[in-house]
Amino acid sequence: MVVATRPNSNILSSGRLLDETIAKKAIESAISLGAEYAELRLVSETTNSVTLKDGKLERAIPGQEVGLTMRILADGAWGVHSTSDVSSIVSQVESTVKLARAVASRRPTNQPAVGLAEVPIIEDEIHWKSQKDVRDTDLQTRIDLMLAIDNEAKDHEKIVSTSTGWSDEHIHTELVTSEGMNRVWSFQRSLIHGMVTARDESGVVSYRTRHGGEGGLELIEKCDLGFLGENARISALRLLGAERAPSGKMPMVADRDLTGVYIHEALGHPCEADLVAAGDSCLEGRLGQQIGSEICTVVDDPTMRGGYGCYPIDDEGVDTRPKNLIVNGVLTEYLNHRETAYRYDLEPNGGARAQDGLHHPLVRMSNTVIQGGTHNDLDELIEDINFGIYACGSRGGQVDTGRGSFQFAAQEAWIIENGSLTRPVKDVSVSGMTLEILKNVDGLTKDAHLASPGFCGKGQTVPVGDGGPLMRISEALVG
Amino acid sequence: MILIPDDAVDRLFNSAEEIGKACEAAGVAEWEIYATQGYGHSLEIEAGKISMASGGGDGGFGIRIVEDGRYGYAHLVDPSTASAAIEQALSIARMSPSIEGFELPENKPSSNVQGMLDKNILNLGPEELLEQGDIVIERVKELDSRAIAVGGGIGVGAGADVILTSNGIEDGGIHTSHGLGIHVSIDENDDLTSSYEGESSRFMLKELTASVDKAVYWSQVTRDKIKGGDTEDCPVLMTSDGFSPLFSVVVPSAISGERLAKGESFWSGKMGQNVLSEHLSLVDDGLMEGGMSSASRDAEGVPSITQNIVESGKLVGELWSTRDAAKMVAEGKIDHAASTGSAVRGGHTSPPVCGCSDLVLSSNSKTFNRDGLIEEMENGYIVHSVMGAHTANPTSGDFSVTTSTILKVANGEIIGSLSQAGLSGNLAKAMNGRVILGDSSIRKGSYSTGSMHVPDVLLLDGLRINPA
Repeated sequence: MVVATRPNSNILSSGRLLDETIAKKAIESAISLGAEYAELRLVSETTNSVTLKDGKLERAIPGQEVGLTMRILADGAWGVHSTSDVSSIVSQVESTVKLARAVASRRPTNQPAVGLAEVPIIEDEIHWKSQKDVRDTDLQTRIDLMLAIDNEAKDHEKIVSTSTGWSDEHIHTELVTSEGMNRVWSFQRSLIHGMVTARDESGVVSYRTRHGGEGGLELIEKCDLGFLGENARISALRLLGAERAPSGKMPMVADRDLTGVYIHEALGHPCEADLVAAGDSCLEGRLGQQIGSEICTVVDDPTMRGGYGCYPIDDEGVDTRPKNLIVNGVLTEYLNHRETAYRYDLEPNGGARAQDGLHHPLVRMSNTVIQGGTHNDLDELIEDINFGIYACGSRGGQVDTGRGSFQFAAQEAWIIENGSLTRPVKDVSVSGMTLEILKNVDGLTKDAHLASPGFCGKGQTVPVGDGGPLMRISEALVG
Repeated sequence: MILIPDDAVDRLFNSAEEIGKACEAAGVAEWEIYATQGYGHSLEIEAGKISMASGGGDGGFGIRIVEDGRYGYAHLVDPSTASAAIEQALSIARMSPSIEGFELPENKPSSNVQGMLDKNILNLGPEELLEQGDIVIERVKELDSRAIAVGGGIGVGAGADVILTSNGIEDGGIHTSHGLGIHVSIDENDDLTSSYEGESSRFMLKELTASVDKAVYWSQVTRDKIKGGDTEDCPVLMTSDGFSPLFSVVVPSAISGERLAKGESFWSGKMGQNVLSEHLSLVDDGLMEGGMSSASRDAEGVPSITQNIVESGKLVGELWSTRDAAKMVAEGKIDHAASTGSAVRGGHTSPPVCGCSDLVLSSNSKTFNRDGLIEEMENGYIVHSVMGAHTANPTSGDFSVTTSTILKVANGEIIGSLSQAGLSGNLAKAMNGRVILGDSSIRKGSYSTGSMHVPDVLLLDGLRINPA
């Protein structure tokens, strides 16, 4: 049984994986059956992941996966078919049109039909070349780079184990639509990460570190990996002796990692226009309103090369551009895709992303960064705090976009007392309401840039970049 | 059958045999081919309507080869490219450390697990699924005219899996699933309350609207707001829905044999000692009838078992895959270990790793229904769902999460809801304190591996509530 086929194990002579005859036939068939729009998007991912445990190779997994998703818009509703069996797609057109019509027939009379905002119809190829194509990297090179983290991370008797990981991918996408869009794009992502576990009589703790972004081997080679490992070790050992964090409302200063997670969860998600359309965003109807402190300007930018959330073209074939989500505290733009842009009469801004070729695009963030402020450094930010928390490193976060409540957790933290960092604490999480806490941002350092790469889940998982400067919040719920 | 071809398993076996032959032609001593193919239909609900319907399928093959205790892995979608994948796996194996005693599992008899397949699901068409969506959306409106199904979906799936090894393991079958998730909100008078509920089963869900009823109930009951008080260490009754996400992040990794042996678990060095309250037991049941994470064999073909992990509070068992067991013995971390049939994998792209199956928390002491637990608690809070369960620390058991579905209990009565609160503590320590369990458990998915079967849990010690 061939569970999945490609037209050929190599790219066709036309330079494409998707046979244009098959694509044309599928799209023409959908339109002849009365569909308003049909689209085929094929994604081929060449991947490598490697894991070392305690400096020894645990697993290395090379792979190539291909997926194809066909979206058909008929009678103002979507039908979708996804498969790894590319050759079967024509046979699925009729049933997918029927699916779309069955959904349309259920649309309440007070609900609008799905439409797509107009976008330039482009036929082209965009390939973001890495300086060092990560597909040419051999396993030993990957292992050697991982060992650079591991060797520093394990260098203490209280470190009971280390784990180091590598992940790279070359993503090749082809999009063909009934409107005549015919685009091909490719790019690469590379990621290296480590985790240190330390133990003593007080307990067992762990600390994670991560580096990566859009690009090839050069991205990892440029990083001081030994420094990452050393920092992870020092942080883990510090956590061993740390006390439990205090609870309550207090001033908080976040490092770049946490500033990024905060702005991603608290602002970025509620700005996603598909959630606005679903009635699940606290920012519905607030475009043009002051929702945050005047020092807050936030940009979501897929063109920020090197960021883990970069992409050259969105998954509906729309050119990417930076999106100013809030400017000086005023909500200025939602992230959107063609459907939500049409619904709200907005300019499409290239926010459609799918996890892979087997998923349909949703509105997603890319690289989300809060811009720098006026403070010079951490000392300036904390000098007038009598009692508060300085929280660093992200263990992730979550948001309830409808209520506008969010939570994120730090890897480590310090108590701030009388303008100085005094002692380390652990288990710090911060929660709040988007529309309250954005107004409580009262200090930002000048230097804003992307922090550690991350992943965002919204039913589908996509890589994202977040970051900003060091950020002070006058009052946050800690613990 | 509508959902999956009748001969899906046979076709996977045929392709796996071809790849096995290619392994032998390449001189591979030990090989394991895992093949999978899944099909499904689903619909998405958004803003009180069905917003999209979809279908499709995908699958592929995973090849694991072992030579002199070294292993390599590669995955592919097209069997005609197997030779290249085998070469990749071989080259990786040659760079891998040799583990003395590591070989692929022998073929041993396994038990059949009932309840893996529902023919009604196999014959369910997309139109019938859309009718289920109509029922769910209508139910929300019936229960509360203010309530809207802002999100969610329903899906059915059928999957065929096959494992074939050079040691004679040859096993395969079809399994089905039916799942529903529903996110309901009530937005009135500038106060939005909401709840997300979900469930899944190998069989067609018996009560399609049970999750809807629960979502509407929690959206309603959390509207009666009271002012949050001071931060306090107090008893907390966590409903099964609120408890299982935290439990799934913290507990499965703690019972991995490798993590226990290496000192990475908060239960390391505690074999035979009390780790949970003495009336609690924890069983990893790989043979549960209808279990979403059960099967006759694990992901590397070892027969599944039902294993006691904690008995009356004492740690008595741990989870092992074949390679982890051999590695820890070879490294001298432990004297003896063998597979417990605990290899899992996330599809054909992943080699087998150690994980739990259907993990069941139970009590040999008196259990209570929810009202009884509230009476037992007397004063404290009920927490139904938490935000940020995935940020819990599985190494230490520490967690600090947020909840917006929290009710305050005074003198055994619910007196109102907080708009938001922090909940923190150490789950391992809290479960080793005073604990009372509810009398029925529901299966929940997991942030790590396996499926969690936990009832409502009243934790009397070690948790802190921090009202917003």
